[in-house]
Amino acid sequence: MAELQIQKLVKRYGDFHAVRDVSLTVADGEFLVLLGPSGCGKTTTLRMVAGFIEPTAGQVRLGGTDITSLPPWKRNAGMVFQSYALFPHLTVAQNVAFGLEMRKAARPEIDKRVEETLALVRLEGYGGRLPRQLSGGQQQRVALARALAIHPDVLLLDEPLSNLDAKLRQEVRVEIRELQQRMGLTTVMVTHDQEEALTMADRLVVMSEGSVRQVGSQRDLYERPADRFVAGFVGRSTFLDGTVEAPGRFRTDGGLSLTCAGGQVSNGGGKASLSLRPERLEVAAAPMAGLDNCLPGTVEFVSYLGAMIDIHVRLSPADRLVVQIANREGGFTPDVGQTVHVGWRASAGQVFNK
Amino acid sequence: MSLVVDKPKGRGLTASALLAPATIFIVISLFAPLGILFRYSLNDFVPQTKTMVEALTTVQYVKFFTDPYYVSALLTTVKVALISSISCLILGFPLAYVLARMQSRFKPLLIIAIVLPLFVGNSVRAAGWMVVFGNKGFVNASLMGLGLIHQSIEIMFTEKAVIIGIIAVDLPFMVLSLQSVIEGIDRAVEEAAFSLGAPPATMFRRVLWPLALPGILGGMILTFILAMNAYATPFLLGGPTFKMMAPVIYNEFTQKTNWPFGAAVAFILMAVTLSLTLVANLLIQRRSTR
Repeated sequence: MAELQIQKLVKRYGDFHAVRDVSLTVADGEFLVLLGPSGCGKTTTLRMVAGFIEPTAGQVRLGGTDITSLPPWKRNAGMVFQSYALFPHLTVAQNVAFGLEMRKAARPEIDKRVEETLALVRLEGYGGRLPRQLSGGQQQRVALARALAIHPDVLLLDEPLSNLDAKLRQEVRVEIRELQQRMGLTTVMVTHDQEEALTMADRLVVMSEGSVRQVGSQRDLYERPADRFVAGFVGRSTFLDGTVEAPGRFRTDGGLSLTCAGGQVSNGGGKASLSLRPERLEVAAAPMAGLDNCLPGTVEFVSYLGAMIDIHVRLSPADRLVVQIANREGGFTPDVGQTVHVGWRASAGQVFNK
Repeated sequence: MSLVVDKPKGRGLTASALLAPATIFIVISLFAPLGILFRYSLNDFVPQTKTMVEALTTVQYVKFFTDPYYVSALLTTVKVALISSISCLILGFPLAYVLARMQSRFKPLLIIAIVLPLFVGNSVRAAGWMVVFGNKGFVNASLMGLGLIHQSIEIMFTEKAVIIGIIAVDLPFMVLSLQSVIEGIDRAVEEAAFSLGAPPATMFRRVLWPLALPGILGGMILTFILAMNAYATPFLLGGPTFKMMAPVIYNEFTQKTNWPFGAAVAFILMAVTLSLTLVANLLIQRRSTR
């Protein structure tokens, strides 16, 4: 295992910037997740680390060595592909042994390592099967075992769970994460699934349009999103559009004057958004005391999600919010058309320039 | 694939009704003539009157295998077919690979370009080759004009010319057969091999080649059969002294009107083609399952 450094990495296709000036450091044993919508450059970044794509500019360093110009077969990076990319004509054991054979290991050593690695992913006794005789989850584990068998300096996971069904995905997430921690693997994973990213990562990198928007822990991204995009992409946000009147004062397009967190300097009357977490909002039949903002509104839509209930409340003709409340027994559940009061503390919201 | 489908009643009947026309056509157009031809090949022939005499004899087959002229025609045919189908594989694989991995919107156009030569009939094309490769043809005239050679190179009416001609005809079949199989191989599988430490040549040997084997086999069989039965190309480019099987058969039927012998030669060609194909198939399949 080793530390991975990505320095000022750029990939251009003609006029199109797939990756713009991305710099990241993944510490030895750290699990870093690149999170973003499709086309944000996360996969291109991962493939440049793997060596499948040549960067237009920048450097990739692994364990202190510059590997930017090394072909993939000289990089010692274990990769798990979205499609698993198992060799369909080889057995499970032969798949796992492939990388070791390339490293000219001795037969007894290869056999021993294959057995160990298959045990690691709980596939003892499956060595003689062909990939097509396995379930999706088992194939995924073979792909992982194949990448781990070579004792890679860095493990690269390209949307490794997206072909599994929802239930299995939750199990495998934990499994991969535990394995990664136990083995101290330096890992980079690419995903567009924020729940997956949040459960697995030590640190997350949110990307959009080829650039890094924010790097940080789950808590950093959730509590202090760097911009409107991150606020909308990590966790849920509900937005009120308007302008910053004065520090700590936000006026919505619908004319509501709200108290917002201080420190946000007015941007000269430019367009801004007040971003709120639906689960940090409170709703009640009567006005609530002790909150910085409390406004009356009409319930327009209610969606019942089981553990949670989403309530869409119109505060003014131009302003609508989503409030999420826990579905507690005997809790307050308003009906469509009912007048309710929505309140929150100033610290629950964040203002972003548009 | 194991798919259990509940069969509604009458579907079997519909299926047979749909299969019947093709089946009947094949029986009438292929098996009936073959049967009659096979019967002819066991008949006797009177050269003086040029007539076929009803008999049950293997004399035609014996004649073929005891006359060095015919045996050498068979050996030449097999040799030319092997060389040309192997050449098609070597020339066609890179082309098929690039085509299969291409994501350009011009890809359909390129596939048409590969097939385009087939729009020109074999004899027309062979006639074109005659103009290009003749002693005073385009190639020789150009080379002599440039002063690169002083005597014209003999290409026309040689085995070389025939092989070049057959490759040109068969290459599209090889490329298409390979391309369709390579397209079905996940690109990520190649990348997986790279990331596990396999350089390109090793990746090709351990991953691409075994996975492309069905296409390689299909292309080889197709081009081999086409080359074994080539008529216009050897006839026009090989010249009067060059002998391959298909022109020999044509000659027996039309020039010598020796139907029994022509039929026997036709059956020998078919049997040799079929058995070589089967043997190759078995050998390769055994190797790949090992």
